[in-house]
Amino acid sequence: MAPSLNDDSPPSTIDEAFTENNLQPFFVLQKGPSRKSDRKSSGTGRTRRFDLSSASPKNSANIEDEKEDENMNLRMEAFEFVWSKIESTIKDVLRVINTNVFSEIQTWVHQSFDTIRSLGTPEFPEATQSFPIITDANSKRLFTGLVLTKNMEFVDDLLTFEELGKHLKYQGCHVANLSSLDFTAKNGVGGCLRSLLRQFLMSSLDPADISILASWYREENCNNPVVVIIDDIERCCGSVLSDFILMLSEWVIKIPVILIMGVATTLDAPRNILPSNALRCLCPFEFTLGTPAERMDAVVEAVLVKPCSGFIIGHKVAVFMRNYFVSQDGTLTSFIRALKIACTQHFYTEPLSVILLEFASEEDNLVFEIERHGLSPEVIWKHVFEFPSCQRVKLNKLTSESLAHAFSELKRLQNQWRAVVLCLYVTGKGEKVRLLDLFCEAIDPESYNQGEFDTNMKAEKDPVLSSSQIKGHVICKAVRLVRDLSTAQLGKLLKMWENLTVGIPEINGKVKELLSLLNVEDGKSSKKDLTVTPRRHTSRTQLNIEDSKSLSDKAANLIECMVRDYMHPTECIPFHEIFCFKDVDKLQLALIGDPRRGIQVDLLEFQKLLCCRCCTSSSNALLPSMHDTSIMYKLAQEHGDLINLHDWYQSFKSIVLCPNSKRKPRQSPLPKKRKGIKEAESQSEASIQARFCRAVTELQITGLLRMPSKRRPDFAQRVAFGL
Amino acid sequence: MDFNAAEEEEFGFSRNYFLAKETGSSGKKSARKLSDINVVDEQELREASAKIEPKHQNDVADLINSYKSLYPKWVFDLRCGFGLLMYGFGSKKSLIEDFASTALAEHSIVVINGYLQSINIKQVIIALAEILSEQLKLNRKVSSQGLPKVQQPFSSRSMDDLLAFLDGPEMDEKDSFICVVVNNIDGPGLRDTETQQYLARLASCSYIRVVASIDHVNAPLLWDKKMVHAQFNWYWYHVPTFALYKVEGLFLPLILAHGSSKQSAKTALIVLQSLTPNAQSVFRILAEYQLSHPDDEGMAIDDLYSISRERFIVSSQVTLNAHLTEFKDHELVKTKRHSDGQDCLYIPLTKEGLEKLLSEMS
Repeated sequence: MAPSLNDDSPPSTIDEAFTENNLQPFFVLQKGPSRKSDRKSSGTGRTRRFDLSSASPKNSANIEDEKEDENMNLRMEAFEFVWSKIESTIKDVLRVINTNVFSEIQTWVHQSFDTIRSLGTPEFPEATQSFPIITDANSKRLFTGLVLTKNMEFVDDLLTFEELGKHLKYQGCHVANLSSLDFTAKNGVGGCLRSLLRQFLMSSLDPADISILASWYREENCNNPVVVIIDDIERCCGSVLSDFILMLSEWVIKIPVILIMGVATTLDAPRNILPSNALRCLCPFEFTLGTPAERMDAVVEAVLVKPCSGFIIGHKVAVFMRNYFVSQDGTLTSFIRALKIACTQHFYTEPLSVILLEFASEEDNLVFEIERHGLSPEVIWKHVFEFPSCQRVKLNKLTSESLAHAFSELKRLQNQWRAVVLCLYVTGKGEKVRLLDLFCEAIDPESYNQGEFDTNMKAEKDPVLSSSQIKGHVICKAVRLVRDLSTAQLGKLLKMWENLTVGIPEINGKVKELLSLLNVEDGKSSKKDLTVTPRRHTSRTQLNIEDSKSLSDKAANLIECMVRDYMHPTECIPFHEIFCFKDVDKLQLALIGDPRRGIQVDLLEFQKLLCCRCCTSSSNALLPSMHDTSIMYKLAQEHGDLINLHDWYQSFKSIVLCPNSKRKPRQSPLPKKRKGIKEAESQSEASIQARFCRAVTELQITGLLRMPSKRRPDFAQRVAFGL
Repeated sequence: MDFNAAEEEEFGFSRNYFLAKETGSSGKKSARKLSDINVVDEQELREASAKIEPKHQNDVADLINSYKSLYPKWVFDLRCGFGLLMYGFGSKKSLIEDFASTALAEHSIVVINGYLQSINIKQVIIALAEILSEQLKLNRKVSSQGLPKVQQPFSSRSMDDLLAFLDGPEMDEKDSFICVVVNNIDGPGLRDTETQQYLARLASCSYIRVVASIDHVNAPLLWDKKMVHAQFNWYWYHVPTFALYKVEGLFLPLILAHGSSKQSAKTALIVLQSLTPNAQSVFRILAEYQLSHPDDEGMAIDDLYSISRERFIVSSQVTLNAHLTEFKDHELVKTKRHSDGQDCLYIPLTKEGLEKLLSEMS
């Protein structure tokens, strides 16, 4: 199948080599050539670090193709730029979220260290002994920080603990990060020690002994605390962990170790996995990290709402990613991974995505030079005209300038959209309005086009309409919240709005107007308050409430009008296709492979994949020309959880031989006429049995069938029931 | 809405399962035996199996060829830092090896055959480290940096050191990765947790990119979220090929040849031939006893010892036990509790199989 690379070697030897290699546990298929010669050969100014064209089946002699390759390499560069920007933004956001906890932990570490030191430092002869010093029970206490991750998914916290380690290292501590994999029953306590020695001494000494660590610490001047971070204690082997704790506690005077342990569930966790003698050694302190939802909102805000890289996702993609997070995977890590897959897909499929490189780096005055992107102008214009969003606005003539203008318009609209979304977010923040939900609603092009935002608002005002219609609409919820605000709260909120809308004079002006109105009102009411007589107090208060009511109504109207007029979802703006990834199906396929379903569907509907003419019939009847394993699997569907092998074989045989079939079974091994009938029969019997065996083996490989057990030698077991 | 769909689906699963269970136990269960089929001789079966004419050869070839258009995309994904995971019915071995050798012509490629029974992952990692160090040396010469320090040979370093070496800081040439092709990453040789952990750590190394295939429907259960999201970083591709599982199925028994007397006798013979003449003689005594006492449950160990001693085959109980352990390890002999409470030995072969074995031994 494969065209061989080295044309000089005869294909037969390659085949032989392959078969021999097939039985090797592993083999080197090829060794990469030195990169030096490679770089010399590409004499162009830009270093082609990787030639994607070599992978393309097309003949790249063509200039057009070469341009395309050039464009592809540029897209790769753009992807790298954009993704590194997104990645560093995410890292920064997560770091900021953890700043407070980290500094809290850091202070605690230093305090604990001082306490340990106050118990006394070992004298020189004691310090050089290769056994621990024990004075009293107090000196065996191990300071332990329990970090509640508030998250069952420890994968999200891997980075947190890594960052914590870096943070403490930066503050002068000696830090080692251990994972639950270091605490396995197989390796015992030696495994964790070895890992500690590796990280502290940068060497792996085979007799892992803690006295080595002690002498290392003595040489390190003894001025800094030693911090050992274990990212998830609930996944550690309890006995190994307790041995480790007991050992460290005995040495704590010589090596002032401070433990930091990640706990996913509750504070009870250590009590559940550690025996009492180990627990007695711990002197626990508690720290709490942010919840996954908080982190998610921070990431969404920084990456998807605020200007970050220019890359955005479409409504359907966002909804899919949200649902996957909320109801399936629940990890921020997978959300980020989905975003990366989306990003990869986008840059691979969209030739003009190259523009993102400039779009993201240059703030204004985007000069659009087609020639820079490796594509010929004709190809680009054709591509641009084919955008559905472009066809909607019926542009008939496009120039570079008009395109550049369109881009700056897009940026302007995006800024407006962003301001409104953030205003809504700050409004609902206290009331559990999640930015992710808000984001999904705010980029929905359909409800925007249908004016749904608007009608829902009306429904909100009109109490006759059932509340179920509005339910779930995060935007409406936020608006509703505005109405219920007191004057003081409203003032605060308007201040926030004012800050958020700084770049957009249209909205900013209105907010300021409202704010000044509020101030006037405030002044008035305070004046009134001064002059008021006790007699009329109640009515005045009533009046004030009404005043503030009308003000908050005004604010609610303002945000409604902002939603209506300024919250253009990106998908409604021309040329958004260049920046926006919308193919949710592709994303889903790449992110969540479903082998269980996929492999079954392959077998049940194989003719769709193979596109053969012989097997496509209108009925569902099994034809002898079908793939053997497919026939077998379809037959298996008719059995219960156990399949009688004899029956299965007989039905397979009858289908394969298929005497009633009108079609001539092309590839069925029917006896050749000139051979004796009997011989031929046994021949075909053997062949059918062989085919049966092979089909069973293939089903066994896919795991769809469990082989007969000794207890039931005549039955195979079905594994999958339904797709 | 989505919740409902998921619930519905789950309900469907359990309903199907219980329906299947019901049909299985409703008394209609067929009692016919596999032995009712006139199974041909295994030799013949294997020959026939080798001669099976593949169906839809051209369609399959077309299907596999159609994936070539995806090669540039796959390269793109690898460069973006993903690992490729191929699934779908049919052997994907030739597909991914072809992809690696044509589309990644500039890279070193190491293939692991997960369908084999035993794979030493450490050796794979040592080989990878050697390739990388060669590659780095070449590059160092170019950039005329200082020579690397004298280091331990890779074969005597620990796994952690090797993985740390493969995860070294990236060079200016960002794409100088080594491609590791894993055929059947869910195969029997790689299925244990420890190996999967090492593979996951390997996949997360900066110099390594993994292209792997799975065939088992439950393969994803091998990995936890850390492995999937943070280490392997899979990019899934559904690429059914309908190609024959030629090598993958090589080590699985043919279902119709299962338990045939000939097969077991043959394997027993191979094992016996590798043992010492004395051990063979002990086995012969046991076999002859079993043939002459077909109704007995087995031969008592003491009897076997006394006969062997009489014939000067063993000198002590210890040597006999050594032979017996060898037999038991190869499943040539099994022990059973005799009705009088004594342990006795028997050979788990049929009478015909045993006779055949004895005749071939001499």
